[in-house]
Amino acid sequence: MKKSLTLLFMLIITAALLVACGPKREETTPTSTDEKETETEAESTEEPAKPEKLVVWEDTDKSIALEPAIASFEKEYGIKVEFKELGMADKMRDQLRLDGPSGTGADVVTLPHDQIGQVVTEGLLQEIEVSDEVLSTFSESAVTAQKYNGKLYGLPKATETPVFIYNKALMPEAPETMDEVYTFANDFTDGKKFGFLAKWDDFYFAHGVIAGMGGYVFQENDGALDRDDIGLNNEGAIAGAEYIQKWYAEGLFPKGIIGDSGGSAKDGLFNEGKVASVMDGPWAFQGMKDAGIDIGVAAMPTLPNGEHMKTFMGVKGWHVSAFTEHKYWSTKLVEWLTNEENAKIRFELTQEIPPVTSLIEDPIIADNEGAKAVALQSQYAVPMPNIPEMAEVWGPAASALQTLATGKAEPKAAMDDALKTIQTNIETNHPN
Amino acid sequence: MTNKTEKIIRLSVSYLILLIAAIIVIYPLLWVLGSSFNPGQSLSGSTMFPENPTFKHYKSLFDTENSNYVLWYLNSMKISLITMVFAVLSVAVTGYAFSRYRFIGRKNGLLTFLVLQMIPNFAALIAIFVLAQRTDLLDTHAGLILIYVGGQIPMNTWLMKGYLDTIPKELDESARMDGAGHLRIFWQIIMPLSKPIIAVVALFSFIAPFGDFILARIMLRSEEKFTMGVGLYELVSKQFGNEFTTFAAGSVLIAIPITILFLSFQKYFISGLTAGGTKG
Amino acid sequence: MDSNVTTKHRKNAGFLSIIPGFGQFYNKQFVKGIIFLVLTVAFFSSFSQTLNWGFWGLITLGEIPILDHSIFLLIDGIIALLVAIIGLGIYAFNIYDAYNNGKKRDEGFLLNSVREQYHNLLDNGFPYLMISPGFLLLIFVVIFPIIFVILLSFTNYDLYHSPPAKLVDWVGIQNYIDIFKLDLWRSTFFGVLGWTIVWTFGATTLQVAIGVFLAVVINQKDLKGKAFFRTILILPWAVPAFVSILIFSGMFNESFGVINTQILSMLGIDAIPWMTEEMWTRLALILIQSWLGFPFIFAMTTGVLQSIPEELYEAANVDGASIFQKFRGITLPMVLYATAPILITQYTFNFNNFNVIFLFNGGGPAIPGQNAGGTDILISWIYQLTMTSGQYGKAAAITMLLSLIVIVVALWQFKRTNSFKEEDMM
Repeated sequence: MKKSLTLLFMLIITAALLVACGPKREETTPTSTDEKETETEAESTEEPAKPEKLVVWEDTDKSIALEPAIASFEKEYGIKVEFKELGMADKMRDQLRLDGPSGTGADVVTLPHDQIGQVVTEGLLQEIEVSDEVLSTFSESAVTAQKYNGKLYGLPKATETPVFIYNKALMPEAPETMDEVYTFANDFTDGKKFGFLAKWDDFYFAHGVIAGMGGYVFQENDGALDRDDIGLNNEGAIAGAEYIQKWYAEGLFPKGIIGDSGGSAKDGLFNEGKVASVMDGPWAFQGMKDAGIDIGVAAMPTLPNGEHMKTFMGVKGWHVSAFTEHKYWSTKLVEWLTNEENAKIRFELTQEIPPVTSLIEDPIIADNEGAKAVALQSQYAVPMPNIPEMAEVWGPAASALQTLATGKAEPKAAMDDALKTIQTNIETNHPN
Repeated sequence: MTNKTEKIIRLSVSYLILLIAAIIVIYPLLWVLGSSFNPGQSLSGSTMFPENPTFKHYKSLFDTENSNYVLWYLNSMKISLITMVFAVLSVAVTGYAFSRYRFIGRKNGLLTFLVLQMIPNFAALIAIFVLAQRTDLLDTHAGLILIYVGGQIPMNTWLMKGYLDTIPKELDESARMDGAGHLRIFWQIIMPLSKPIIAVVALFSFIAPFGDFILARIMLRSEEKFTMGVGLYELVSKQFGNEFTTFAAGSVLIAIPITILFLSFQKYFISGLTAGGTKG
Repeated sequence: MDSNVTTKHRKNAGFLSIIPGFGQFYNKQFVKGIIFLVLTVAFFSSFSQTLNWGFWGLITLGEIPILDHSIFLLIDGIIALLVAIIGLGIYAFNIYDAYNNGKKRDEGFLLNSVREQYHNLLDNGFPYLMISPGFLLLIFVVIFPIIFVILLSFTNYDLYHSPPAKLVDWVGIQNYIDIFKLDLWRSTFFGVLGWTIVWTFGATTLQVAIGVFLAVVINQKDLKGKAFFRTILILPWAVPAFVSILIFSGMFNESFGVINTQILSMLGIDAIPWMTEEMWTRLALILIQSWLGFPFIFAMTTGVLQSIPEELYEAANVDGASIFQKFRGITLPMVLYATAPILITQYTFNFNNFNVIFLFNGGGPAIPGQNAGGTDILISWIYQLTMTSGQYGKAAAITMLLSLIVIVVALWQFKRTNSFKEEDMM
């Protein structure tokens, strides 16, 4: 009985310990946040202690351009930088979401700018402070793309926008206007060969036409996008939609390039030399060259109304993770990675075009046909909206375009429908 | 006489039907095989019988300097085999318990197994991810294997139990009379009689990891740990049209081991599946 | 002393074992008691932290944004819950055991010695011992994620309540209410539901019909080359489904796919708009799913056919039954009866067959004025609705609703097919 009494005693102690644990945490938490806040304050005022290492997540196959930059950074500041390659489209964001909070994430990441709004809302990135001197080295639109709600969340690394790519064997020179392209295509297209192809059932590419004719996604007011002012069914947008429909209705675009799997069909045709020209992004250059096509690249031809296509511009940027403990040095690294020297190295090694103004004049870009075309087209391009509401636009817009392409809907009705759906979706999924 | 003509008509109609069915089944597969030998890269340019067949896509997959395919293939084999072994073991044991013993929670357990396989779980991927992270199993093959084995249990236990129910219980009882223990009865009497259903379970649990890309994509981080499903999917999601023929070659290589396994197990397979599936 | 007439042992033992092991001590089963006690202490010492944190997290979902990650807390909470349930299970068994042994003493039986207890444990515990490794794995790999989805459906987890920036809160059944209130959802729901039902029944029934039919044809006694045909017909099963579906999506391409450019043109049929006309895409999907799904049914039916007693057919022959009469009267009922449970799971599988819809044409083609694609089934539509705009809580709620529908219908069907008449199952 004695034995059991001692055992009972032990048990009671265990139970008591267990109960005591509950509120203990609440006492400690406020202090820990305080600590964190004071820490960050200290960081911004003076140069904080150097971390042992920083971790960077780079886009797939792009680290060749990162290596020299981090080598020189290490040399300059004595901070070791490690990197890992991750797919940028979705993996980077997903892993930041999961790894960041658990402390295994990177300090510096790269993201396409149209994800910034969403990622910031989720609290995955932090605002960075950079001197105006640094900012002025980049093109204005590229910097705008890195801002959300008026705050800067990164520095631009590279821009891309669709351009006009042609097969020199089939089309000796790039036409100036879409009307010329249209005439050419009418002669050339016979159901097996095509004069000009574009994924205009995909809003990313169609935006060039629709916005060029006068449509817009979100109106910009004082540097912020107004989610309540959508211009997808105004006169210009409908004119653009009509223009798009014409290409499909007259059989210049085959039905086989419509829909999710259509892009690959289009690429395949071009690489077999069956297509004289396409609208595509700079990421497609390499595959085409690999397929043995002698390509020429130019800015998109002007639309029938005389305007340039307002293609969507994508800006990839370097950002500082919200979870880093070394904000100061991460920001320094971002500045370092995007400075003129490293931007130039990046272009040489990966052909990604940095929006560094001094480089656009540099012979290295000015003499490169592809880069020059992208730089030229970028002048007319608009950055994709980076507010989270944009997520509601892609789907309905693509549906409208697809019904236009298949001739199931009239331009006005299709665009009206799309607008209605987008507005309902925004109201439902993005309250306030 | 009429009997004979009737027979001839019946048989020729049957052959015709089977022939058509076989063509429909084979055609897409042959087409993939053909594509993988095409010299070009694209989907639209591929033909079933290329004029200048080439092994270059296979070569490029096996070119270990530029492609991790061989590594992925070995990973897939390893993962699938280990999953198979553990799944068979745990399914056999669980199925045996459900078939031979009456214990509290048996019926509910069985019902649970049935219901579990009907819930679509892609919304739960984040939960699996965090669990793996908490247990340090992220980016390990061990973690992935555990998930695969767990996922194989419900459906296959059901099949296993159904099959074991068809083995007369008297066998166990007479063995018990002779003084055989639980394990011995299970291992030396029941298991040898269950070869057909074991073949079925083995096959199922081998195929599932081989074809999966969703779980593996979430669990595995480093490229050298990828499985073939993930590798192949990444290839497709990036540039399906441009790399179609390479993708086709990769697919052919995925299908080969499974087909061989299928054909070699076929004898057991049909009888095992029948008894297992029907009595449950 | 054990065989005394005073009979309060069961209550005493049961009561004492509120502290694990003590009931066993009372019953003088010291080894067992110590095991229980040690287990309990070990349980608390190793899990007290997990439990304490877990439950706190589960209830509050965190209190301070950025520091507390609601979703991680939720997951830790579920782990704590599972650990606690396992612990309670052992605890309940401890009381049950003490009570039972006390009862035995009350009834004047001698209690088992340690050795006997060991044997007893082996005998009675053997099934538990056997299922526990698999079951544990199942709990953490399958059941745990499902609990997560269930709990998630009662939270407001969406883009604007995303950790780490914000906390997620419990909102009760708000998600379920919203689903039925939102125009976005209601306007398209019935159209999608209609096609989902057509799809589930069309695709599944066709794949079953083809599977059964081919199995019957091949099973004719005087047919030669059985092994050859069987081998070929089982092949679609061997290729991973995602590979096959992607290849079909290439083959069905309207302008360049082989189906239009070679097969149909060879037959003199004009190109069919497989990917851009709703009806044709649906047809293509049903055909593809049949191709993918029939081998399984085929293999199973083949087995059943071999087990149908020959006498049945001979009797029918005597009665002068035709082939079709024999099929309808004997074969089909036998096959359907035998495979009913598996058939039901085939239907439930297709109801939620996300892969084939998503990989073939992304749910397309688009339909004017609708926010679901022409071939979107409920699960693929919901996936896009909720995932593009980060409505995770709602996605979970809808997943639960869909699962509930499927499970209820399936269980009801199972009951009907009598495959659950438990005890005569063997």
